[in-house]
Amino acid sequence: MKQSRLPLVTTLLLLVFFYLPILVLVITSFNSSRFGTTWEGWSLHWYRRLIQEREVLHALSNTLIIAVSATAVSVVLGTTAAFALHRYKTRLQRFHYTLIYTPLVVPEILMGISLLLFFVAIRMDLGLFTIFLAHVTFCISYVAMVVLGRLQDFDFAIVEAAQDLGASWWASTWRVLLPLLAPGILAGGLLAFTLSIDDFVITFFVAGPGSTTLPIRIYSMIKHGSPPLINALSTLLLLITFLVVWASQHLTRESS
Amino acid sequence: MNIPGLSRLLIVLSILTALPACQQSKPVLHIYTWADYIKPELTHRFEADHQCWVIIDTFDSNEAMYAKIKAGAGGYDLVTPSSYMAKIMDDQGLVQQLDHRLLPNLKHIDPDYLKIAIDPEMHYSVPYMLTNTGLAYLKSRVPGFEPTWKMLDRKELKGRVTMLNDMRETIGAALKSLGYSLNTINDGELDAARDVVIRWKRNLAKFESEQYKTGLASREFLLVHGYSGDILQVQRENSDISFDVPVEGTSIACDDFVVTRNSKEVMLAHQFINFMQEPDIAADNTNFVAYLCPNKTSYPQISEKIRQNPGVFLKPEIRAKSEVIQDLGANNVKYTRIWDQIKAAN
Repeated sequence: MKQSRLPLVTTLLLLVFFYLPILVLVITSFNSSRFGTTWEGWSLHWYRRLIQEREVLHALSNTLIIAVSATAVSVVLGTTAAFALHRYKTRLQRFHYTLIYTPLVVPEILMGISLLLFFVAIRMDLGLFTIFLAHVTFCISYVAMVVLGRLQDFDFAIVEAAQDLGASWWASTWRVLLPLLAPGILAGGLLAFTLSIDDFVITFFVAGPGSTTLPIRIYSMIKHGSPPLINALSTLLLLITFLVVWASQHLTRESS
Repeated sequence: MNIPGLSRLLIVLSILTALPACQQSKPVLHIYTWADYIKPELTHRFEADHQCWVIIDTFDSNEAMYAKIKAGAGGYDLVTPSSYMAKIMDDQGLVQQLDHRLLPNLKHIDPDYLKIAIDPEMHYSVPYMLTNTGLAYLKSRVPGFEPTWKMLDRKELKGRVTMLNDMRETIGAALKSLGYSLNTINDGELDAARDVVIRWKRNLAKFESEQYKTGLASREFLLVHGYSGDILQVQRENSDISFDVPVEGTSIACDDFVVTRNSKEVMLAHQFINFMQEPDIAADNTNFVAYLCPNKTSYPQISEKIRQNPGVFLKPEIRAKSEVIQDLGANNVKYTRIWDQIKAAN
């Protein structure tokens, strides 16, 4: 029987759909024109400008510091929250579930303003730390939901079996439970990282002097600056992301 | 994740977060402004001259910035809101009265602009950058261009024209075309302006406040209603673009320096305002930003291209007919109402 061409065509279309805009962005980043739509020749002009832009690089480092630290903390807190929600079905836990669920449905602007009012009320100086706290607040919910999904079809008999065979609580958690949950935790962590790195609304409100992040900077540049710089920056970010993904795949393949 | 990797990351993070701490020994001036609005070399020079650090944070709309400062977000010393927003901030007690003894360079500020400014005595604000709203077009594709709002009625340009997606600017253009003030609160005048905008709307591609620059550079639009600062930036790319201000008058917008009430570096903030109004520095900055710093002494030092541009330096008779958009308080509703009618009309 002749194999259907449909899957191939669909895959190709999907890839085009996903990657064509990115490709356009990468190509325009080498366009010497300031207004992306007319082609004025290849140039590294915007990359040179980017290296000289102290504020953009500062915003980039702010964004990365927050994304990495907020992800790390929300992964730990989110996973433990998911675990508690799954194991204990008391009325208190039902309330806990609502609390975890709410940030997913509350409009961002409301969350941003209420966090700002809160920080102002307790006289906390706005800055990287308040952005970090705000990001942890909404990232926890996403991590918890993803891990909870993973726990739903997790067979706890395996953990009990390990304990029957003499594994301590610590050993059964560290060597049985966590490795099995790892894909869920990793997915939650990646989701948190992506959300943190491109959050604008909440970050705008809780950012303080000196803590402008990349999204805030980019929004202002779109209205009032030079968009090609952003294309160059995005291309570099893409390159870094691909390198990280490639490296992590490479490493995991070696260890297994 | 392997533990050594994690701890290495934590070390890097702690070094990165410790970096700003090293800077604390010098005073830090925090400026809250639009992106690319101050020539970077000039802030570096200020840092060297005054042994301080200048940290710039950016916002993307007056309203968002106001919401944040009003809610109590502190730490910013200098902010550059548009004039109408500076007025609101002053009314709300969010900004300080300026100490003119620390600002000797205020004598360079263009008195012609101050005549129409919202804060002509510069009690709480110093004008930083001006922009005029006008019409930009492609010389090769719009023959017989005349500097008048009536251009928006040209049927041969149908579907290739944009107007700003800003109720005050666009209704203001219609009011000016009828010879009224663009700050009017007279219902009859506003209704007449509404009918004009609805007539124009039939000729438009869309209301557009950001992409019109790109659209004009790529020849998608032939005639656009836009800000002189934006258009000057596109003109550097496409010499076919020309800009002019309608003879009926237009709106002049200005972003002002204000010092926040809770500023910790009041002295440094004043020094920075004064520094930016040093004539040679103001000219250098104008050439870089492409908006116009209304510093009269600096005008002769501005590049020929900007000085010869009739859309930047208005003819006195057009300037006399132009106005600054003012906040109308409770009467803003009148504009919102007819803007809704315009948006709903077809």
